[in-house]
Amino acid sequence: METTEIIIRGNGVLTERVIRERDLEAGQSVLDALTDEMTRSLRNALTIPDWGLAHANVGLTDTIWSVPIDRIPLNARFRLINDVLVPAFASSTDIEMPLVWQAPKEVRLIFVIRTEFAKDCLKIDGNWLFACDKDNRGYRLPLPNLHDDCLICTGNFDDRYDSGGECLTASLEQFRKSKWNADLMRTVEQSQKFFRFQPTNETFETLPIQADDWTTLCDKVSTAIMERVIL
Amino acid sequence: MKNITVKYGVDSINKQVEDDFTFGELQENDSIKAALGFGDRTKALVEGIEQDSATVIPPGTTVRLETAANTKA
Repeated sequence: METTEIIIRGNGVLTERVIRERDLEAGQSVLDALTDEMTRSLRNALTIPDWGLAHANVGLTDTIWSVPIDRIPLNARFRLINDVLVPAFASSTDIEMPLVWQAPKEVRLIFVIRTEFAKDCLKIDGNWLFACDKDNRGYRLPLPNLHDDCLICTGNFDDRYDSGGECLTASLEQFRKSKWNADLMRTVEQSQKFFRFQPTNETFETLPIQADDWTTLCDKVSTAIMERVIL
Repeated sequence: MKNITVKYGVDSINKQVEDDFTFGELQENDSIKAALGFGDRTKALVEGIEQDSATVIPPGTTVRLETAANTKA
């Protein structure tokens, strides 16, 4: 369709304006190009045994899976200081134990898995561990084996699976059984104020964090991955 | 002087800065660091594009700061 208009410009000049309109056949490739940075969030996409629900943020080439967790398995070396058991990640002589740190309700832990589409399978492209406050700010916990952007140094494990559920299960199993060592360690003092245990007769009880505000023991983070996390 | 908006995570501030204020100066500015809580290793993005630290920030720009990834020690 074509429309012709005659307009008078502000300076008095008469101008002919021709407007031509046609509907475009927007193919899939055009739509993909226009939406390649758009993602879609899907809550409660999967249930992971022993861990709970997983949420998905689906992009064109990858999926960011968010699994809210309530504990951190700490397979590490520990030391008794003033009757409180605290981690001694860099030690080679203290006792090694598989303790489980139970997060207080004000610390919202999110385990994140990125999967990418690979040939005939899904590939795990990284695991992250974020702690969030009530206002959804993200923080890096005072733990070793965590990069500045909260990417976990997981060690090697099989990273290709047939389904998203298998990718999540494998990542969380690696998280559960991995040992925490001194790689990427900063100061252990913050770790020892954060992760504290009380030996009891039969088990080890998680003690409160030794700070009025737990975020003062962490580093605030902001990353592209964090932007796609579903809390 | 010019106004810029700086975002870090869910927090953001509006700031009036000198006309020649650069992305690098923003990343090293102690008062903005304290206000938004970011550390020494960041990258500055505008519309998702990482910016060079020597580039002057255009007036009215919204700058998103992100935590820069470190490599394994």
